[in-house]
Amino acid sequence: MSNNLRIKILGTGAWGPGFCDWQTLEQHLETHTAFDTDEFVSPKPTVIPANERRRAPLPVKLAVETSWQACQQAELDPADFACVFASGLGDTETTDYMCKALTTEEKLLSPTRFHNSVHNAAAGYWTISTGCMHAANSIAGFEETVPLGLLETAVQACGDNTPMLLTLFDAKTADIYKEMFSTTQSFGASLAVAPEGHAFFNRAGPIISLTVDPRPGAWPAIGNEHLRYLYEANPSARILAVLDFLLNKNTQQELNLPLSQHSTLRIIKQ
Amino acid sequence: MATEHSDDVRILAYDLVCAAGTGIAELDVSIRSQTSGLTVNDFPNSHLETWIGKSSGADGFVWTDEPALQCRNNALASICLQQESLQSALRQLIERFGSARIGVIIGSSTAGIDRTEVAYQHLQDGKLTPEFRQPKVHNPHSPAIFVAHHCKLKGPAVTINTACSSSAKVFASAARWLRCGFVDAVLVGGMDSLCLSVIHGFHSLQLVSTKPCKPFDNARDGINLGEAAGFAFLCRAEKLDDMPHSGMRLAGYGESSDAHHMSHPHPEGEGARQAIESALKTAGLASKDIDYINLHGTASQANDLIEGKLVGQLFGSHSAMSSTKGWTGHTLGAAGITEAIISMEAARNNLVPGTLNLESPDAALDLPLSPENQTKELHHVMSNSFGFGGNNCCLIFSKVEGI
Repeated sequence: MSNNLRIKILGTGAWGPGFCDWQTLEQHLETHTAFDTDEFVSPKPTVIPANERRRAPLPVKLAVETSWQACQQAELDPADFACVFASGLGDTETTDYMCKALTTEEKLLSPTRFHNSVHNAAAGYWTISTGCMHAANSIAGFEETVPLGLLETAVQACGDNTPMLLTLFDAKTADIYKEMFSTTQSFGASLAVAPEGHAFFNRAGPIISLTVDPRPGAWPAIGNEHLRYLYEANPSARILAVLDFLLNKNTQQELNLPLSQHSTLRIIKQ
Repeated sequence: MATEHSDDVRILAYDLVCAAGTGIAELDVSIRSQTSGLTVNDFPNSHLETWIGKSSGADGFVWTDEPALQCRNNALASICLQQESLQSALRQLIERFGSARIGVIIGSSTAGIDRTEVAYQHLQDGKLTPEFRQPKVHNPHSPAIFVAHHCKLKGPAVTINTACSSSAKVFASAARWLRCGFVDAVLVGGMDSLCLSVIHGFHSLQLVSTKPCKPFDNARDGINLGEAAGFAFLCRAEKLDDMPHSGMRLAGYGESSDAHHMSHPHPEGEGARQAIESALKTAGLASKDIDYINLHGTASQANDLIEGKLVGQLFGSHSAMSSTKGWTGHTLGAAGITEAIISMEAARNNLVPGTLNLESPDAALDLPLSPENQTKELHHVMSNSFGFGGNNCCLIFSKVEGI
């Protein structure tokens, strides 16, 4: 294995303001048109059993719904995928609830909301709902969550020769954080991928290869101006640069995303 | 699950700060003398009757780094990163590879939430006051942001937050990063500070003991929360040349999911079994080869019963085993690195730590557990970490032969 990770994208899921599936988002990325509405409809992922779904916070529902969509589009069983769940800011509404409750004398916390407070709640609900017993990672990368998520997914897919599901999700932040974070819209997206050499690699889908370069980088612009605010304000929506790049029919074959202070993730379309 | 491969990932240096000691030298003294780090809960603003594993130095730590990065968790990390063992390895690695070719992978479950809690105690008109507007602390990536900043490392840096398996999984990810070759070395670690969220959160699940925890004891009645920060530098053997290393290597890792329940382990330990079997497979070892197992052993009723039955089936009485939570408390997101380091120290010293506070071993289990330490030649050691959401990780470390 080398510093050149080839993966095929087998399925995509997406949910955000004005779109509840990948097909709608794809159309607007291609045509650069505005959405009919920017209303965000809360997802209701039916794969989570009803009594569990009632307890699931928005970030979990976003993540599970888009994960399900990606697997459905790939026509593959979710239980076959190891997964990486990545979120830049985590569940700030649950954090807000906990921190408020902890300023009271009694400090009484709901046990359900406490177990929902772990960053890997989405990975937990997903694996429980789908019976997936593979490795489920849960990572955070603040503003670099998307390139780090892509890297971790490709590294594990190629390194362990396993199909992987990457799910990126950030719900809008709790009001109290608005002076620090400008994430006022919720977004989630999932990619089901397979590495070169795995049987699923023979299925249909675009192929990309990922390389890490030890040099600083800058975020690219995206084509649809109506998505620019979401792209810049929601850490997970930075995946729009990759989705835009994959749809782009012109000659651009290479996309660079900043990975750290002095490293860049280079994505080449094959 | 991981496939077999022939990685030789060496552990260059490691160090740990926890209730049982600031630095490895103090930890070794605590283990040898069977001195627990657990004390009666005196965490500020918490009046819960329980015991905690508090690291000395965190309370009075004078923060001199960037104010925007201040939090208790980062203070713990600072104390650990100042240890000469880590400083020396860091200097050598930067000199050899450059700071952009060294990655950072840190596990944590609490991240900077200790600071968020304090910020909420100082709200004005329902808003954060300026000194607490710290975007790089109030987010789950806070640990790796701080460690990369503090060590001046510029390669990829990620935080793994899978609850109590977080800083075990860092070793698996680091092994894969090194195999891909986009970094030459990785600083892995884990850090979780005590905070109200975990003390009162676990209390809400009725999992906190009012007494010092008693892993695998008939009378066990819950966990004690602890805090720790620990780090290790990893590098592939072929890149080491003449650099000194710890004499230990990462031999295997296994990761899995229970697919069962958010806060209760799989009743037959099925996910844990898969993680253990996968770790043995990547290490190319059989269960009889494992000389010592550092059990997750939280002292909760469910964990110890399920884990105990499973390791009893898989390992019988051949492998020495213990839970060391009686020294440190359950350090959650830092438990993986804490117990990885305790396991490597056990191997280097050929000293199996006992299961502190064990008086009457659980009658439902038949395990070779003892409160006493024992001297034993150790080559291959295993550490189990199981977390909320059914997130499991098992690590195997081996002595490098011929040194």
